[in-house]
Amino acid sequence: MVAGADVIVVGAGVVGAAVAEALSRTGRSVHVVEQGLPGGAVSGASLACIGTHMNDEEELPFLKWCCDEWAAFDAHTPTFEYDRCGQLRFLKQESELNSARHWIDVERNAGLAPELLDPAEVRRIEPLLTGPIHSATWSPNSAVVNPFLAVRMLLETAQAQGVRLTSRAPATKLRLKGDRVIGVETSAGPIDGDHVVIAGGPWTAKLAATAGVDLPIVPRKAQCLATVSQPRSIRTVVGACKAEGGVDAGYTQIQQAMSGQILFNTVLEGGVTAHGSPDAVPEVDRAFIRDSVETLLFLFPSFAEIELLRSWVRYEAVTPDDRFLTGPVGPDGLYIAAGDGGVGFCRSVGMGRIIADQIEGRPSPFRTDLYDPARFERRQAA
Amino acid sequence: MKVFKTDIAIIGGGPAGLSAALAAAKAGARVDIIDAGFLPGGQYWMQDPTGAPPLSDQVSEGRDAIATIRAAGVTIHSGAEVWTVFPDLKIGANGPDGPFEIVPRAIIVASGAHDRVMPFPGWTLPGVMTPGAGQRLAKLGGMSAGDRVVLAGSGPFLLAVAETLAKIGKPPIALIEAKRTNAGILAHMARHPARWREAARLLATARAIPDRRAGWIVTEALGTERVTAVRIAPIATNGVIAHDDAEVIAGIDALLVGWGFRPMIEVTALLRCRHEYDRAQGGWFCATDPKSGRTSVEHVYAAGEVTGIAGSVPARLSGRLAGLAAAADLGFIGSDPAAAQAEAVAKLMPARRFAYGLGRLYAPPESLADLAQDDTVLCRCEEVTKRDVAAALDAGTQAVSGAKMWTRAGMGRCQGRVCGWGIAEIAARITSTTPEAAGFNAPRIPLRPVPLSVVLEATREVEA
Repeated sequence: MVAGADVIVVGAGVVGAAVAEALSRTGRSVHVVEQGLPGGAVSGASLACIGTHMNDEEELPFLKWCCDEWAAFDAHTPTFEYDRCGQLRFLKQESELNSARHWIDVERNAGLAPELLDPAEVRRIEPLLTGPIHSATWSPNSAVVNPFLAVRMLLETAQAQGVRLTSRAPATKLRLKGDRVIGVETSAGPIDGDHVVIAGGPWTAKLAATAGVDLPIVPRKAQCLATVSQPRSIRTVVGACKAEGGVDAGYTQIQQAMSGQILFNTVLEGGVTAHGSPDAVPEVDRAFIRDSVETLLFLFPSFAEIELLRSWVRYEAVTPDDRFLTGPVGPDGLYIAAGDGGVGFCRSVGMGRIIADQIEGRPSPFRTDLYDPARFERRQAA
Repeated sequence: MKVFKTDIAIIGGGPAGLSAALAAAKAGARVDIIDAGFLPGGQYWMQDPTGAPPLSDQVSEGRDAIATIRAAGVTIHSGAEVWTVFPDLKIGANGPDGPFEIVPRAIIVASGAHDRVMPFPGWTLPGVMTPGAGQRLAKLGGMSAGDRVVLAGSGPFLLAVAETLAKIGKPPIALIEAKRTNAGILAHMARHPARWREAARLLATARAIPDRRAGWIVTEALGTERVTAVRIAPIATNGVIAHDDAEVIAGIDALLVGWGFRPMIEVTALLRCRHEYDRAQGGWFCATDPKSGRTSVEHVYAAGEVTGIAGSVPARLSGRLAGLAAAADLGFIGSDPAAAQAEAVAKLMPARRFAYGLGRLYAPPESLADLAQDDTVLCRCEEVTKRDVAAALDAGTQAVSGAKMWTRAGMGRCQGRVCGWGIAEIAARITSTTPEAAGFNAPRIPLRPVPLSVVLEATREVEA
């Protein structure tokens, strides 16, 4: 029998770690249970961009707060390779300009400072980006972190405040008494808890279902490639302009890790919705490899003889509106914080704050309605 | 890009792969071998590209095997690295003439073995290498790792290396074997008279080495620019290394240290074949039906060391069985396949028993994993020390994959091929678990680093 806690957090990915860290500041006893290894499933496979650019208009104030929070962690515990390197989003053709200008306006109105650069200006920031782009947007406030070390930092900060962590102990079932959650069953035995927060990414819905809660979260395959270590070749995060329509519309992210490895992926429109099981992770697809390498070499033609070293696949948790499900759900004492949609790393610290405020009964500084797990039912009823 | 359609693709052209190719081709199947070497033969049948006179019967045996394969119509793709196998079994390779693709109906994986390396203080000094690497240098052009070589570690392979070095005129000056010759080893040899001649020959080689120790272990390689001396210590009967009784062998210029072999499971793991763990068979190996080499994945077969370290005789027999089965499963039935199978199976079983027995008897000492000190580098590619790994394990990552995530150990160019076994042993020691529980890092595409230009050419739509 494992000793009980005020709050059990299920999942030690970046969201679970951030929830545990935020709760540890309240003085509550917290126990994190992780089915595998901390950050070992979805978070560690993330490209972990911390930024506001071309993201979500309604979430902008929240995202700004999250960016500041990450910067504060770095100021206090600079162990996770936080690098405020800025972000470029390239445009291939003039038809994407409207979209780029729209995002620049939105973000400027929110007090941010993105701008539109011509290719020569882009090369002053990113000298090896010599491919035939039309132009690029530039957002100087974006940062990247080492995803493994960021999870480690959050967990170690939490553990220093007394949070307990049990790895390799899958939570199999929620324990209920009447209309209240009283803990979880795990492979390491049952754990008592007054509150349970499921931050289990694509595994969240399965555990919630054991309390009769049906969550609209589905897993989606996400893939990435890495080259062997290179001397400093890329300074920023390079992505594709978020455009409406367009032949090549899709998602691209390219950056160089502190280790020197170039990390990159391109998912073209229509290639993002492959579902599958996060329990049986397959290899990257051939078409994904082609699109990613093609895009990288389109932008950085001088990289052609750099060697590919590694690929990986993860399953991110996707919700119907691509926003998190964060807040109380189902029986009393049960909370969830999941549904990253592949962009959860930055938001994780804010999700931690929301959950901590809700459990403490404090008002939230954020629009929590955006993340209300019951929002889809409400819309249907309305 | 060139595309080769074939019935059976064989990955690896050592004794297992060549034997598989011959059996399958004789049954009527079209066979392509992909091999990384300049010439096929693998480590055991390694051919000297300079065409020097054969150092041993092994070389002439291999030369004959290659000639037989060619006569049987097998296509050999030499100097080619397999960088991917997709789930539809299409193989992406990069050879001297650029990238090519093989589209087979079945695959036989005969990828061989890798030296087991255990980090210890000084192991990254130039001049320190594995016995396998020393053997390769000698076989490829008669080069010695040095003029004054110390050979150390455990297992009969050390004697084979000593023999090769003697043949090229650079016999080792010292042989440091961790295992004492004991009643178990003598009894095991007594049960296998077929191996006496080979054993007698190897022991005669050993006797010619001036400084021979059994029950001693290398604890540190010494030197600044390169290795110039080695510290060795006796292992007490309780397995503890008696550092107080250490001695130094000075005036050396090469140190070959190895702890046997591990199966090269990268391809079979990528294909999601089922694997099992057995220390006596080298650790993680691809599970197969011994009579057919069938793995848990349809149309994928495995033969030789990847199915458990057992040496060249079982490699040839398991290769022949996999070749017969892969061909038969595609409808190519040679003359009396049942008899051929029965004969090979009858020989394979005792040969494997002999090898697994030796594997158990020459198991590395438990204390081996304690040699690395806090500041010893475990992962050379990313320069990760034992202190870093221990801290990550302490903080809750527990396993090899966790140590990788938090320290980058195994994340570099070699992707853990060199250090993976050692880190698993060390992680198990630190966390009081078994190397099996410490796990291994799953290989992913690409199996070897490959230029992006090659990847692009290989993944663009191709006409079959």
